[in-house]
Amino acid sequence: MASTTPRKKRPTRSARSVSFSLPPLKFPLARLVHPLQSSTSQWLVLPVLLMIAFLFRWAVGLGSYSGMAAPPMHGDFEAQRHWMEITTKLPVREWYWHDLQWWGLDYPPLTAYHSWLVGLIGSKINPTWFALHDSRGVDDPILKVFMRVSVVASEYLTYIPAIVLFVRSYGARSGLNSYEKSIAFAAILMNPSIMLIDHGHFQFNTVMFGFAFLAVDCFLTDHLLWGSFFFVCSLCFKQMALYYAPAVFAYLLGLCFFPKFDFGRLFMLGATVIATFMVMFAPLVVFGGPEQVKQCIIRVFPFARGLWEDKVANFWCASNVAIKYKEYFDQSQLQLASLLATLAGIMPTCLILFFYPQKRLLPLGLATCAWSFFLFSFQVHEKSVLLPLLPLTLFHAGSLDTDTTSWITWVNNIAVFSLWPLLKRDGLALQYTVIGMFYAWLMGTFQRLPKGWFGKLVHLGSYAAVIGLHVAEQVVGKVEGLPDLWTVGNVLVCFGCYVLAWGWALQRLWNEAKSPKNKTE
Amino acid sequence: MSGLYPSLKDVTIVATAFKLLLLPAYKSTDFEVHRNWLALTHSLPVQKWYYENTSEWTLDYPPFFAAFEWCMSHVAKYFDPRMLEVQNLGYDSFNTVLFQRLSVIVTELVMVYALHRLVANSPEFTKRSAHAIALSILLSPGLLIIDHIHFQYNGFMYGILLLSLLVAKSSPLLSGILFAALLCFKHIYLYLAPAYFIYLLRAYCLGPNFSIWPPNPAIQFFNSLKLGVSIITIFATAFAPFVWWGQIPQLLSRLFPFARGLCHAYWAPNIWAMYSFMDRCLILIAPKLGLAINQAALSSGTRGLVGNTSFAVLPDITPRVTFVLTLLFMALPLVKLFMHPTYENFLGSVTLCAFSSFLFGWHVHEKAILLIIFPFSLLALNSRHHLSSFRPLAVAGHVSLFPLLFTPAEFPIKTVYTVLWLIVFLYTFDKLAPSGGVNEYRRWLMDRPATLFVIVAIPLVTYCSLIHGLVFGDRLGFMPLMFMSSYSAVGVVASWVWLMGVYLSN
Repeated sequence: MASTTPRKKRPTRSARSVSFSLPPLKFPLARLVHPLQSSTSQWLVLPVLLMIAFLFRWAVGLGSYSGMAAPPMHGDFEAQRHWMEITTKLPVREWYWHDLQWWGLDYPPLTAYHSWLVGLIGSKINPTWFALHDSRGVDDPILKVFMRVSVVASEYLTYIPAIVLFVRSYGARSGLNSYEKSIAFAAILMNPSIMLIDHGHFQFNTVMFGFAFLAVDCFLTDHLLWGSFFFVCSLCFKQMALYYAPAVFAYLLGLCFFPKFDFGRLFMLGATVIATFMVMFAPLVVFGGPEQVKQCIIRVFPFARGLWEDKVANFWCASNVAIKYKEYFDQSQLQLASLLATLAGIMPTCLILFFYPQKRLLPLGLATCAWSFFLFSFQVHEKSVLLPLLPLTLFHAGSLDTDTTSWITWVNNIAVFSLWPLLKRDGLALQYTVIGMFYAWLMGTFQRLPKGWFGKLVHLGSYAAVIGLHVAEQVVGKVEGLPDLWTVGNVLVCFGCYVLAWGWALQRLWNEAKSPKNKTE
Repeated sequence: MSGLYPSLKDVTIVATAFKLLLLPAYKSTDFEVHRNWLALTHSLPVQKWYYENTSEWTLDYPPFFAAFEWCMSHVAKYFDPRMLEVQNLGYDSFNTVLFQRLSVIVTELVMVYALHRLVANSPEFTKRSAHAIALSILLSPGLLIIDHIHFQYNGFMYGILLLSLLVAKSSPLLSGILFAALLCFKHIYLYLAPAYFIYLLRAYCLGPNFSIWPPNPAIQFFNSLKLGVSIITIFATAFAPFVWWGQIPQLLSRLFPFARGLCHAYWAPNIWAMYSFMDRCLILIAPKLGLAINQAALSSGTRGLVGNTSFAVLPDITPRVTFVLTLLFMALPLVKLFMHPTYENFLGSVTLCAFSSFLFGWHVHEKAILLIIFPFSLLALNSRHHLSSFRPLAVAGHVSLFPLLFTPAEFPIKTVYTVLWLIVFLYTFDKLAPSGGVNEYRRWLMDRPATLFVIVAIPLVTYCSLIHGLVFGDRLGFMPLMFMSSYSAVGVVASWVWLMGVYLSN
C-alpha cells in the first residue's frame, strides 16, 4: 500500500481503543472474535455475532429437511406443519384427537399455541400450505422458506436472549472479561448440534431451551418466581424439559432449606408453579372442556411405546447388543428398571444441588441430571442429547481454560457424530460434514487437549474411532446380514463417550460445589 | 480489525465453510453455461470450440478460459462423467453441483494468495490497513453473490488481476504479463487496459529522464523488447491456433456480440440507467411541457429491458456516443498518469478507467462493478478523502447486485451478509483511515450525505423486494429494477466524481 500521508492518530482516538495489544487465546474462534475486543467496538459484538450465527443457520436451512419428498409419512417438518393446520383449522376440543395416525399432536399446550400463531401467519401468506386434508406432505419451496423463518424467528425471540443474558451474568460471576465473554457467547451460538437439528432436520427445540435458560437467568439474578414461571413454560412447550426438572426442583428446594428453612419461599414457589400450569392449560379447558387436559397428558406421555426408538447411544440400546432385553423381560419390567436406573443416576446431582444450592452449579447441574435421563430413561431419541449438551456448552461462560473447553468441545464433537445416522437419512450429509468439521476447527479440537494422560487418551481414542467408523462406512459400505453395523458402532462409541462425559461433568460439579470460591455466595 | 487477527487463513476457512453450505442454493443459468463449456471443451477438438452451438450458451470467453474449462473437465470426470456430454443440457446432478461449486471455491485460492502477498509486501506501518483491505476483498459480498450463488469464476480472475496490480510496483514486466494473460481469460478486463498501457509505457518502456519539452524520449529499448516479446507470446499462445485455422472472425463475433442493447437485462447502475429513469419520468410530464413522445418506445413491451433501448422523450444513444464519452473520461486520469507515473496514480487511474467504462459503456453488466470495487479497495485507506468516496460505492455497488438473486430463500443471505460486511468493514476502515488534513467540519459535510444515502437504501430494498410484489403483483416488473439501479447509479456517480476530484487534485 502506498500511503502519501504519514499516519497520525489523534489523541482522542487512540485513547479510546486501549486493549489492542492483548493477544488472543490460542484457538481459531478466539482469534476471530479478537478484533471485537477493543472498547470502542463493544457495541458491534452482539449484532455481528448474531448476524454471523444467523447466516450459518440459514445456510444450513438451504439443505433438505426431515421427510422432504419422502412419502408416505414424511417427517418432523410435516408434523410441525400439520400441527399448524390442526390448530388453526379445528376447534380446540379436536386438537389432541384429530386423526392421530397422521402426526397427531403429541406435545404440550404451549407448542399447540405456538403452532396456532405460526399457522395463522402462514395462512395469511398462502392458505394452501395449511389447508388440512389437501395439504398433506406439501413440498412447496416457499413453504420451506416460511417454516425456516418461523424457526429462526422463534429462536431469536427465546433462545438467543436467554443465552445473551446468561453469558452476561454467569460470565461476570466467573470473572470473565468482555473479550472472554464474547468468545463464550460465540462458542455457544455456533453449537453445531442445535444448528443441524433445528435448522436442518427441522424442530423447534430452541424455544424449549430458551425458556429453560431464561429460567436459569432468573435464578442467577435471584428472581426465583420468574424463574419457576419460565421453567414451567419450558415444560409446557416440550415435555423433554422434564430432564431438567429434578435438578431445578432440588436447587429450589435447597434454597428453601438453607441456610434456614423458609416456608414462605417454598409456598410461593409451589403456588407459582401451579398457577403457571393452570394458565398454560386454561385455554384448553375454556375452549375445549376439561377432558382435553387428560387427553393431552395421554398424548404427551406415550407409555405404550417401546423402551427406545431407533438406535440411541444410551445404556439400554448399547447393552442390548449383548443382552436382548425384549426376549427376557416384558414392557412393564423394563419400564420399572429404567425408572430405577434413572432415579439412581440423578441422585448425586440432586443431592449436590440440594445441599449446595449455588448459582454457579446450575449449568453443570442441569447437564448431569439430563445425562442420566438420556442414558437410562425410557423412550429416548438421539436428538435428546441436546438436553445434556446445551447446559454443558453454556459452561463455556464458566471457564475458558484449555482443560474445560477441550472437554466441552469433545462432547459436542461426539454428539454431532451421534447424529450422523439421522442426518444421513435426512439428506443432510453435506451440512453434517461442513458444520461438524467447522466447529471442530473453530474450537481448536486437536490443538487443545485436556491436561491429564487419561483425558488425552480418551479424546484421541474416540476421535480415531469416529474417523475410523466414517472411513470404514465409506469404503466397505453395507455389510450383508448386518444392515445396522455402522449405526451400532456409532451407538457404542457414543455411549462410551457419553458415560465419560457424564462422569466428567459430575466430577466437575462436585469440585465446583466444594470450591472455596463459591462459599461467599 | 485490530492487529493481524483473525489471520487470512482463519477467515478463509470460515468463508469456505459458509460457501460450502451454499451448495444447494439458487444458481443462475451461468451454472449451465459453465457446465456446457466443460462439456464442449472436453468432448470436442479445439477447432470446434467456437462453432459448437447445441446449447444456446455458446462459448463466448477467450481461449485461455476455454483451456481452463478443459483442464477442469479432467477432474470433473471423476465426479460425474455425464456432465461432460454436450447433449446433456441442463444436467445438474448432486455431484455436478458439488464439482462446479468446489471448482469456484478452489480456484478462488489464487485470490487468497494475491491477498496474502498484499499483506506480506506492505510496510509495517500500513500492515494493519492492508490486512483489513485483504479481508474485505476476501469476504466481498459481490463475490459471494456472483460467484458462490449466481455462479461465475470471478474470484479466480480477480485474483490474477490483484496479483498483477500488486507486482506493478516492483516488477512492471510481470504485471504486464499477468494482465495480458488475464485478458486471454476474460476480455472484460479490456476496460482497464488503457491505464496499464500508459503505466507500462511510461514507467517501464520510457526512462525516468523522459520529458516532452525539451524532447527526450529516453526509451528503454531492452525493457520494451522484453515486454513486447512476452505480451506477444501470450497473445500468440492464446490466439495463434485460431489464426492458423482462420477462425478469428468467428471468435470475435462470439466475444463481442454488438447486437445487444444499451442496458443489460438488470440495468447496471450507470449513467444510462439514470438516463432511462429520466426518460420514464419525462413521459409523465412531457404533455405538459409540450414535448414530443416517441410512441414506438411507449408501446415497446420490453421497455429497454433487453435488445435495443428506445427512448420516448430523450434522444437515442448510439454506441459511438458511449464510446466517445468513455474514452473522454478515461483520458483525464490517463494524462495525469502519463505525467506522474507513480504507483498510487496507477491504481487511481485503473479505478477511474473502470469507472468510466462502467458508467458510460455500452451494454454494461452490473457484475462489472467488481472491476471498480477491487482496485478501489486497494486505495480506500490512503486518505480520508479516498475512504469518503469509497463508502457510497461500497453501499451502492453491492446493493445494485441484489436483483441478481430474486429467490426468497437467498434474500436473507444477500441482505444480511451485505449489511454485516458493510458494518464491519466501513467501521474498521473508519478506524484505520489516516485522519490527517481533514477537519471535523469538512468530515461532517462529506459524511452526512453518505449517511443519508445509506439510510435511503433500507426503504428502497424493502419496497423493491417486498412491497412492490404485494401491491402490483407481477405487473411493472421493470420498476423495482429501475429504482434500484437509478439509486445505485447515484452512489456510483457520486463516488466517481469524488475520486476524480481527489485524484486530480492530489
